[in-house]
Amino acid sequence: MTQDAQEAVGDYRYGFHDPESATIRFDKGLSEQVVRDISELKNEPEWMTDIRVKAYKHFVEREMPTWGNCDSLEGINFDNVTYFLRSSDKTEKNWDDVPEDIKRTFDRLGIPEAEQKWLGGVTAQYESEAVYHSIREDLEEQGVIFLDMDSGLKEYPELVKKYFGTVVPHSDNKFSALNTAVWSGGSFIYVPKGIHVEMPVQAYFRINAKNMGQFERTLIIADEGSSLHYVEGCTAPTYSTDSLHSAVVELIAMEGAKIRYSTVQNWSANVYNLVTKRGVAHKNATVEWVDGNIGSKLTMKYPSVLLKGEGAHAEIISVAYAGTGQHQDAGAKVHHLAPNTTSNILSKSISKGGGRSSYRGMLQVTPKANGCRSKVVCDALMLDEDSRSDTYPTMEIGNSTADLEHEASVSKISGDQLFYLMSRGHSEEEAMGLIVNGFFEPFTRELPMEYAVELNRLLELEMEGSIG
Amino acid sequence: MTSYLDASLPTRSEHLWRYTPWSRVHPTKVDELPTIGEVVVESEDTVLKIVPKRSIQHGNDIARIFLDEVLENTHILALENETNHVHIRAGGHAVAAHIHIESKQSSSVMFHLTGEAEWVGLWLTGNILPNSQLSVGLINELSTDTVLVRTDNWNVERDGDFELATLSLGGQRIKSDIRTTLSGSNSNHKQFIAVHGHGTRHDDHHVEIHHQQPHSNSKLTVNAACDDRSHSVGTGALTIDDDAQHTDAGQIFRNLLLSPSARAEAIPELEVMANEVAAAHGAASAPIDSTQMHYLMSRGLSQEEATAMLVEGFLVDSFVEVRSDSVREAMQTRLTVHLECQLLG
Repeated sequence: MTQDAQEAVGDYRYGFHDPESATIRFDKGLSEQVVRDISELKNEPEWMTDIRVKAYKHFVEREMPTWGNCDSLEGINFDNVTYFLRSSDKTEKNWDDVPEDIKRTFDRLGIPEAEQKWLGGVTAQYESEAVYHSIREDLEEQGVIFLDMDSGLKEYPELVKKYFGTVVPHSDNKFSALNTAVWSGGSFIYVPKGIHVEMPVQAYFRINAKNMGQFERTLIIADEGSSLHYVEGCTAPTYSTDSLHSAVVELIAMEGAKIRYSTVQNWSANVYNLVTKRGVAHKNATVEWVDGNIGSKLTMKYPSVLLKGEGAHAEIISVAYAGTGQHQDAGAKVHHLAPNTTSNILSKSISKGGGRSSYRGMLQVTPKANGCRSKVVCDALMLDEDSRSDTYPTMEIGNSTADLEHEASVSKISGDQLFYLMSRGHSEEEAMGLIVNGFFEPFTRELPMEYAVELNRLLELEMEGSIG
Repeated sequence: MTSYLDASLPTRSEHLWRYTPWSRVHPTKVDELPTIGEVVVESEDTVLKIVPKRSIQHGNDIARIFLDEVLENTHILALENETNHVHIRAGGHAVAAHIHIESKQSSSVMFHLTGEAEWVGLWLTGNILPNSQLSVGLINELSTDTVLVRTDNWNVERDGDFELATLSLGGQRIKSDIRTTLSGSNSNHKQFIAVHGHGTRHDDHHVEIHHQQPHSNSKLTVNAACDDRSHSVGTGALTIDDDAQHTDAGQIFRNLLLSPSARAEAIPELEVMANEVAAAHGAASAPIDSTQMHYLMSRGLSQEEATAMLVEGFLVDSFVEVRSDSVREAMQTRLTVHLECQLLG
């Protein structure tokens, strides 16, 4: 990296970028023709083209969302975004066959090492499409389908048609309409009845080009009594112009199934991260979102769960770190639609250097949902006087038997804790780093160990220079 | 100033109007500015002064813009180290009043809001001067068909201490928007709200507390017991400015749902821009505790009596911290009478 580039990147360790080597790149801007061209290029069935076009029309007509930090969305110029960029002609199954420049990027991110050590499968998406994909043979033999979404549509069109857009319809919001119109890449997973995927499967998303829009679409179906842990990581280079990441994730947990979806989002500070994530939990099923937001310029992400079947459970753990120029508008939504459903939401946020972190949540209990229980806890730490922390919880209770609690607190780092650690020989910066790591511990302990270690290192980097 | 007919109407995406749109509490149709009569305001002790309407900051809020335009007079209540009771009697089709309190030293005032008007607009304002204390209580016992739009603007200056208690029992549709600014350092504010939802009452309380200066403290308690097909909404907006270091602020919203058709919403929002603060909020919603119910019924109380007793305990708990004896006792007495009347049908 040149010195100038190093300066631009600053502390963001994934801020490097490789020269673009696109095999296909669409012009900037969006039109119905662009949508049709993407679909044609991918040889998609007609029904998918129709869905895309319908979604595009809805996107054009739909107002910007009103839920969230909507004023900041005005900075997005939809005409200055590249909606499709193909970097490799095909998805490789062998790491050695991945194009050299892309392989170099993922090598630097540590993907192949992680795969060898502890993953059940991995997809690496570079710009708009997956460039590398593999799954362990034993899982494949058990009938587990783990593909990038484009291949999923080609190989299992009936399954995709049955579930695509059933959890997040294109008409849900402006950004889900945009994603449905131009989606490319993402993961498609089907776990058959009774199969427990013991090792996590991972997807890694990388934006490399300037003004790029990444619109991956992920659909995960866990059939009756099965379980799965899916992990995703995201990075992008640091440019002076903005990129847009607008994904849609749909999870379907059938009766007795369990899906855990973990994210460590570390986009560079020029990415708008506007993601719609929603899961449906049928009878006695569990959907868990473990969601870490470290990077991006603006994140608006509220992982949701529809508790549709009796006895279903939702667990959402969300942490956010908002540094200079960042707004982490994150939260959670849980809709109790059936009796005896339960949910837990834990949100933790840290604001530093003028950053703003917000918890925005929705907890709804419908009249039919007897005997529901839910607990929401939000804790915020403010590291300096320039920062800001907000909490916007909403509770809508339509059933008299529901038992719900919400509590939130905002505070600074305790002087006693700092003093204690410093009296044992830590510098003030180290002591603050330790306290911050401890504050996020309920989140990191839910992550696979490699991710937890990585997250702690990222936080240490972010904490550098926080004193004086 | 923006006139009502030129003002843009709020959408439901706005926090304040999410659950009770302006169209549901306007006296006629939203594009009309009807003639509004005057509420009768009588003070038991202090003489009320009536002056031409004082101009008040409406902060682009549609209800305040509306009231500002339809009101002609302001009732000035000057208190100096005294306890007072004020009766607000609302009769006729649509009536409104603006009452402004000027308080010195340590005073308290109880407002008793009654009447059978179809629509009542009430704007309460006051300034708590440096080093002074003011306790205000308001009991709403309007007729079961009345729509009430209440807007409050209070300002607490340096070392001022202000407490505000509301007992909301009457009216069909209530929209209260109570805003308090802690503009002086070392100022204190406590607010207590108890709501009893019965029949098809829709009771929406929006409370904004704005800490502007250091060492200011606030506490908000909202308890709502909802029976039959009633609907309670409690929204709070607690803002702590970056200058307001060493602030201690807390908000708690509790809902007790007594019937399968009752509904409750709680949105306690928190915006904190200072780091040397303690800010917390909580919200909870639960049915009546079956153990408590069992205990009372095993001692010979009927289910209705046991429920009334638990509701009373739950709502009275809202006012235990009210410093002014006259305000606290008035609240507790009226609540007991109201629940007994309900029990007797």
